[in-house]
Amino acid sequence: MGTSSNGQRGLFASFGRMWAIALNTFREAVRNKVLAILVMFAVALMAFSLVLGQLSLHEEVRIIKDLGLAGISIFGVVIALFLGVNLLSKELDRKTVYAIIPKPLHRHEFLLGKYLGLLVTMVALVALMSVVLAGFLLMQGGRHGVLMVRAEILILLELLLLMAVAMLFSSFSSPWLSAMFAGSLWVIGRNTAELEAFATGKLEGSAGGTVLEFVLDLLPDFRMFFVSGANFDETVVSVHGSFVSWAYVGSAAAYAAAYGGMCLLIAVLLFQRRDFT
Amino acid sequence: MTAPVLEVDGLRKEFVRGFLRKRTVAVDGVSFHVERGEVFGFLGPNGAGKTTTMKMLMGLIYPSGGTATILGAAVGDIEAKRRIGYLPENPYFYDYLSATEYLHMIGRIYGLDRHERRKRATRLLERLGLAMAEGRAMRSYSKGMLQRVGLAQALIGDPELVVLDEPMSGLDPIGRREVRELILELRGQGKTVFFSTHILADANLLCDRVGIIVKGKLRDVGPLGELLSPKVLRIEVLWQGSAELQAALREQFAEAEPGSEAEPGSEPGSERESPHSSSSEGQVFVAQAQAQLDRFVAAVIAGGGEISSVTPQRETLEQLFVRDSGTRPEEQRS
Ligand SMILES: Nc1ncnc2c1ncn2[C@@H]1O[C@H](COP(=O)(O)OP(=O)(O)OP(=O)(O)O)[C@@H](O)[C@H]1O
Ligand SMILES: [Mg+2]
Repeated sequence: MGTSSNGQRGLFASFGRMWAIALNTFREAVRNKVLAILVMFAVALMAFSLVLGQLSLHEEVRIIKDLGLAGISIFGVVIALFLGVNLLSKELDRKTVYAIIPKPLHRHEFLLGKYLGLLVTMVALVALMSVVLAGFLLMQGGRHGVLMVRAEILILLELLLLMAVAMLFSSFSSPWLSAMFAGSLWVIGRNTAELEAFATGKLEGSAGGTVLEFVLDLLPDFRMFFVSGANFDETVVSVHGSFVSWAYVGSAAAYAAAYGGMCLLIAVLLFQRRDFT
Repeated sequence: MTAPVLEVDGLRKEFVRGFLRKRTVAVDGVSFHVERGEVFGFLGPNGAGKTTTMKMLMGLIYPSGGTATILGAAVGDIEAKRRIGYLPENPYFYDYLSATEYLHMIGRIYGLDRHERRKRATRLLERLGLAMAEGRAMRSYSKGMLQRVGLAQALIGDPELVVLDEPMSGLDPIGRREVRELILELRGQGKTVFFSTHILADANLLCDRVGIIVKGKLRDVGPLGELLSPKVLRIEVLWQGSAELQAALREQFAEAEPGSEAEPGSEPGSERESPHSSSSEGQVFVAQAQAQLDRFVAAVIAGGGEISSVTPQRETLEQLFVRDSGTRPEEQRS
């Protein structure tokens, strides 16, 4: 038996163990009442956009698209914070982890399995909400279209990155603090442009400006994922007219993977050293 | 001679707590070994460091010093973990899962295929008397049922070494007996069992050897019978007789015999106030020496009374703990 096939088998077994954890995490999320209520709210918001659309003249489809995407994004963020922060700390609070860590798996497999479970959950949720949104659009005689799919994928990427950030915080601090930290990072990350303008404008040349610019470069750039209404190459980007290309979605995915991967790596390192008392 | 299943050498854990960096030495240089096929009891009062030691062996917390080797490997080795089953203290599991779902999840971690998982889960749930609740969410389980799930999840990997942290806690007398039978069954299968308890009777019935830990230090290791001092401390007599006889004997044997041995650990004056008392089954007299016992029994017979039982009282685990420690670590340190 060669080493490479041994290594492959090891990798396969490792994935199997992570999958066991992921499946359980997915089950926990799906059976969670809070999550169900949040999803219902998101759908209710879309239904409300139907009513709003009726009030506006000939703008039904546009309003449903805008409100629908906003709904997926906002409720997605709440869900991502809730899941990313809760699932790990609950495990520690309730001591369910005591029975799992001594099982034949590595600690990092446990943590990555948790994240994998969150990822699967989030993909399922965004897909579900997108299908509901597409249904509403069809009812109004509109089309979902590939632009909407790109927008939804970008939202999903944002949520996945946010969950990685939340998991990093929850691997060393309390759930409330973690939610607050991750939530503030998201708010800041969505508004980097304003802060950057401030750093390069008013604070230009000053030490404070340099520091702020440096910090902004370190923070996750969540703006990248919610581009509707933004200016790209002098044209306004929107799902109604000209939207970002697949290449842009690809580069956003690469960014999310790199940044999220770093967060998970640090989370793993912290988790590795932890005493479960 | 095969290597020990579990070898612990100078294991130590110091907790540093809070802002003031308050230190607690929970386990202080513990060394022992457990041989293959042995049932080893880890005995100690509350707060002695049993759970802390076991958690270090299971890789849940990192030792501040010392080493441990399990099944020939360092703590945390995944191949060794595959051959170990562990029941945490007061176990709690994912309450949204049923016992069956949970065992399947654990089986997946062990890399068992679906058929094998189902076979083992069904058999274990049956064996532990959980078959009637297997499909119900564990949120609705009682403490005793959770304890049984804990045993099932410890055994699903068919381990060679079973580490159980207070396996009888939370169980009724029938449940305790079942767990005792389970431990003996595991020994019968050639498995090694390392379990903690603070109940002497459990250790007495099950263990080939025990380790006694008090205040983080291992005091004694060996067969329990050898550790408890075999000397008879006192003899309890249960007897019946008329009211006059009771009064007469209370008068005649009012004081403990002069020159008789004082009981270790008891303050003079409190325990020795009166050797007489009455229980629901009759009168009780506590003799401090053989000669006194002989005279008392003779007096009862002569007065027309009856002797129901004569029981020699040896040192109990409680007294052993008291002899070894006196106080709990918390009381001593803070
Ligand atoms: N996380 C912690 N931080 C500080 N001290 C701790 C911590 N965990 C345990 N201790 C202390 O370590 C000592 C040993 O605790 P441990 O839980 O190992 O005892 P035990 O023998 O299992 O007792 P019991 O029979 O009650 O289960 C106790 O004094 C306890 O207060
Ligand atoms: Mg304990």
